[in-house]
Amino acid sequence: MDTCILTFSLLNGSDLLFAFVCLFVCLFFRYGLREFVVIAPAANNDAVLSESKCNLLLSSVSIALGNTGCQVPLFVQIHHKWRRMYVGECQGPGVRTDFEMVHLRKVPNQYTHLSGLLDIFKSKIGCPLTPLPPVSIAIRFTYVLQDWQQYFWPQQPPDIDALVGGEVGGLEFGKLPFGACEDPISELHLATTWPHLTEGIIVDNDVYSDLDPLQAPHWSVRVRKADNPQCLLGDFVTEFFKICRRKESTDEILGRSTFEEEGREIADISHALSKLTEPAPVPIHKLSVSNMVHTAKKKIRKHRGVEESPLNNDVLNTILLFLFPDATSEKPLDGTSSTDNNNPSSESEEYNLYNQFKSAPSDSLTYKLALCLCMINFYHGGLKGVAHLWQEFVLEMRFRWENNFLIPGLASGPPDLRCCLLHQKLQMLNCCIERKKARDEGRKTSPSDNVTNTYSGDAGKAGDQLGPDNLKDMDKEKGEVGKSWDSWSDSEEEFFECLSDTEELKGNGQEGGKKGGPKEMASLKPEGRLYQHGKLRLLHNGEPLYIPVTQEPAPMTEDLLEEQSEVLAKLGTSAEGAHLRARMQSACLLSDMESFKAANPGCFLEDFVRWYSPRDYIEEEVIDEKGNMVLKGELSARMKIPSNMWVEAWETAKPIPARRQRRLFDDTREAEKVLHYLAVQKPADLARHLLPCVIHAAVLKVKEEESLENISSVKKIIKQIISHSSKVLHFSNPEDKKLEEIIHQITNVEAVIARAAH
Amino acid sequence: MDEDVLTTLKILIIGESGVGKSSLLLRFTDDTFDPELAATIGVDFKVKTISVDGNKAKLAIWDTAGQERFRTLTPSYYRGAQGVILVYDVTRRDTFVKLDNWLNELETYCTRNDIVNMLVGNKIDKENREVDRNEGLKFARKHSMLFIEASAKTCDGVQCAFEELVEKIIQTPGLWESENQNKGVKLTHREEGQGGGACGGYCSVL
Ligand SMILES: Nc1nc2c(ncn2[C@@H]2O[C@H](COP(=O)(O)OP(=O)(O)OP(=O)(O)O)[C@@H](O)[C@H]2O)c(=O)[nH]1
Ligand SMILES: [Mg+2]
Repeated sequence: MDTCILTFSLLNGSDLLFAFVCLFVCLFFRYGLREFVVIAPAANNDAVLSESKCNLLLSSVSIALGNTGCQVPLFVQIHHKWRRMYVGECQGPGVRTDFEMVHLRKVPNQYTHLSGLLDIFKSKIGCPLTPLPPVSIAIRFTYVLQDWQQYFWPQQPPDIDALVGGEVGGLEFGKLPFGACEDPISELHLATTWPHLTEGIIVDNDVYSDLDPLQAPHWSVRVRKADNPQCLLGDFVTEFFKICRRKESTDEILGRSTFEEEGREIADISHALSKLTEPAPVPIHKLSVSNMVHTAKKKIRKHRGVEESPLNNDVLNTILLFLFPDATSEKPLDGTSSTDNNNPSSESEEYNLYNQFKSAPSDSLTYKLALCLCMINFYHGGLKGVAHLWQEFVLEMRFRWENNFLIPGLASGPPDLRCCLLHQKLQMLNCCIERKKARDEGRKTSPSDNVTNTYSGDAGKAGDQLGPDNLKDMDKEKGEVGKSWDSWSDSEEEFFECLSDTEELKGNGQEGGKKGGPKEMASLKPEGRLYQHGKLRLLHNGEPLYIPVTQEPAPMTEDLLEEQSEVLAKLGTSAEGAHLRARMQSACLLSDMESFKAANPGCFLEDFVRWYSPRDYIEEEVIDEKGNMVLKGELSARMKIPSNMWVEAWETAKPIPARRQRRLFDDTREAEKVLHYLAVQKPADLARHLLPCVIHAAVLKVKEEESLENISSVKKIIKQIISHSSKVLHFSNPEDKKLEEIIHQITNVEAVIARAAH
Repeated sequence: MDEDVLTTLKILIIGESGVGKSSLLLRFTDDTFDPELAATIGVDFKVKTISVDGNKAKLAIWDTAGQERFRTLTPSYYRGAQGVILVYDVTRRDTFVKLDNWLNELETYCTRNDIVNMLVGNKIDKENREVDRNEGLKFARKHSMLFIEASAKTCDGVQCAFEELVEKIIQTPGLWESENQNKGVKLTHREEGQGGGACGGYCSVL
């Protein structure tokens, strides 16, 4: 016999895991074997319990080994499985080794040290030689660490002070956490081993021991992994999802009336909104909104004592800076979108995930907001914190609208209907700000103009600035400068607004419209030209045809659009309905015709059509009386139908350049609608709006982590999650059950990756 | 009358100005041809219930203006559509050449990627054809669209175009919602479409 390792272990009976690895480890540790065969009862078979059965098995093993000449030790598992009891035999040339194992409930004192164990060993082998050759010994102490999570947690919740101080640990706003938040390792085994000792070199008895584990020449560690570790990402998303079910309004949560005066103001706005349902474009002159905002803002500031705020100021400021990076510079940047360079390129499949999830681009404000709310909810004050941040966000939107500061992190242009509604609303607000800003900047600056660009926070004062002085300024510039009056929506300006409007309409409009014929109109001074058309010349005098500056059509969010298409559809399919429908949509056509007439005094409908709808002007080569080939053109049949809407519109259109026309898009009204919409969103509404962004972010996070581990099975699951999510999220009101399912899938994948990472 | 309607589908008709979109629709809904149809302003709207394979479907059809200037408005109507009919005029090559632009727009503005597209070459009654049938077919194949040639004037292929489109939509799981859905009756196709995980043969055609 070469070596024999003796260990006696006490089992506490709570050990359950019984994987193959453990089996190997068990036998290797106990008998020092690297190769062996084990015969064990199948999982659902009875254990071998009786002594006689054990003996029968062992003698069969003995015969089998003898017959086959197998030199690999063979084991059988006996007794209850949890005891991990293995006995076996090994037959070599002239040598037979029996492997036996004893479990003792209580270790007799003489067996707790080496000298005692050596005594039994010597007595057991009954060696005839005297003196007995020295026994070689290998010793191993095994230490098991269990239930240790409370002592050591690899992912501490991020320290918010560190966050604020800029030393962001593993977690930043805008990033989702990942991985197990309890250790995915459930047990840690440390083995300290003395592999080669000879009897007599060391002393280990009941009063003294040389065996200091720290001095052991060989240490090894083994880990056992938890089955279902609780994971951070999954928890994050789950907790966020829970907000969707909360019923409380922001006010209820924050325990005070945030917008005290809101009752009155909402009445104001809903009155305004009711007008919107009227089909014809109704300019709303009276909307005393700026007043409301100024006062509301003051109220909030007053109301909120620092100590009662759910979010502490540092956290709040950090988040706001993260969301609005432009706020750091003196004057906010006007860049329409802030893009981090480390984001996936806009072409990549990853970046375009928002399209499938109906969320928002991963570099957008909306997406960042979703992540911040998610984190606030988890770490900083839960629902209250969410309500607080949202309130601040809405105020910031209001502030930007009033001060002509574009909102960062949003693609410019009309709302992207592929994104979530909240994102579209923010884009819409940005469109409004852009137009208001352009208008205000188009105005020649007089000292009093600056008032809109610096936030005074005082409604009364702002109003005062708009006295007679302004009126004079505007008068002077009328005709050349845009409709600057539009940007003044305070009640003081309404009268002025109306006045100027009618005056302008009377002015140029009557001259052209009433006096009729293009001949007279030709004497008008051309206005609002964009550039000269490459080839076309006016039919009646051969002057170059100019393309006019036209009004941009109104941007629309999906809910507006739905509203509008509902109205249009309601008109029915009769001829009258169709006519009315066309008429309702003719504002843009009419406006373009007016711009065209202003830019091309004396033009005909034919001129307009050649620019606007070239296929409706048909040219033919004909031979005239003198026998020359000439190009003869005429309107298409459908344009010549008497009193068709095009002709009708053409006859109504007055030569007015775009800048003096009634706005097709009332940015003031639309902005107020958006701001109101934002203000009345409960945390639950908000969470529903943003859940697609959170799921989107979670999927990206899982993907990113997976790419570090490269587990092909997980890749497949992620693909499935994406396709599943995109189906669920495309319905306007996905069922909670389906959303839960998605979150559950994400959590599972996270656990798999977290375990693999160890 | 709506009792036995399986679903309401949103169909969109797009294409260059003057290719005959409104005429095709008028032929389909009213079975007439009106040479005095005005150029469409914005969008127009018609409804018709048809029966395909014993399934009744109510079609809400949005006819858009092809005119350049109105186009900034129409993409909004792409939203939520289950089927799109893209029309060109076989007697005007330029309307065929522009198809790529329309497909681009579709890809940009469609909110879903399993939408069913049909290409229609219109005005085959006219003599001065400029686009061969095979060209249309090839284009449709290349972009996984259904294809048919038609004439709003003679009625050729019009009914067929709409029927085929609807049939294909009905066969696409997850693309449409049953009218009965709110009454708690669930049809199996939705479960298939959403629960399967694997994309069920209707992966995006991106
Ligand atoms: N010969 C013939 N003419 C057609 C056919 N379909 C349409 N037309 C004619 O083509 C012209 C344009 O048709 P519309 O239906 O108004 O075209 P559209 O595509 O709706 O045009 P927009 O509304 O401007 O986008 C009209 O004069 C129709 O009479 C057809 O199948 N055959
Ligand atoms: Mg039309």
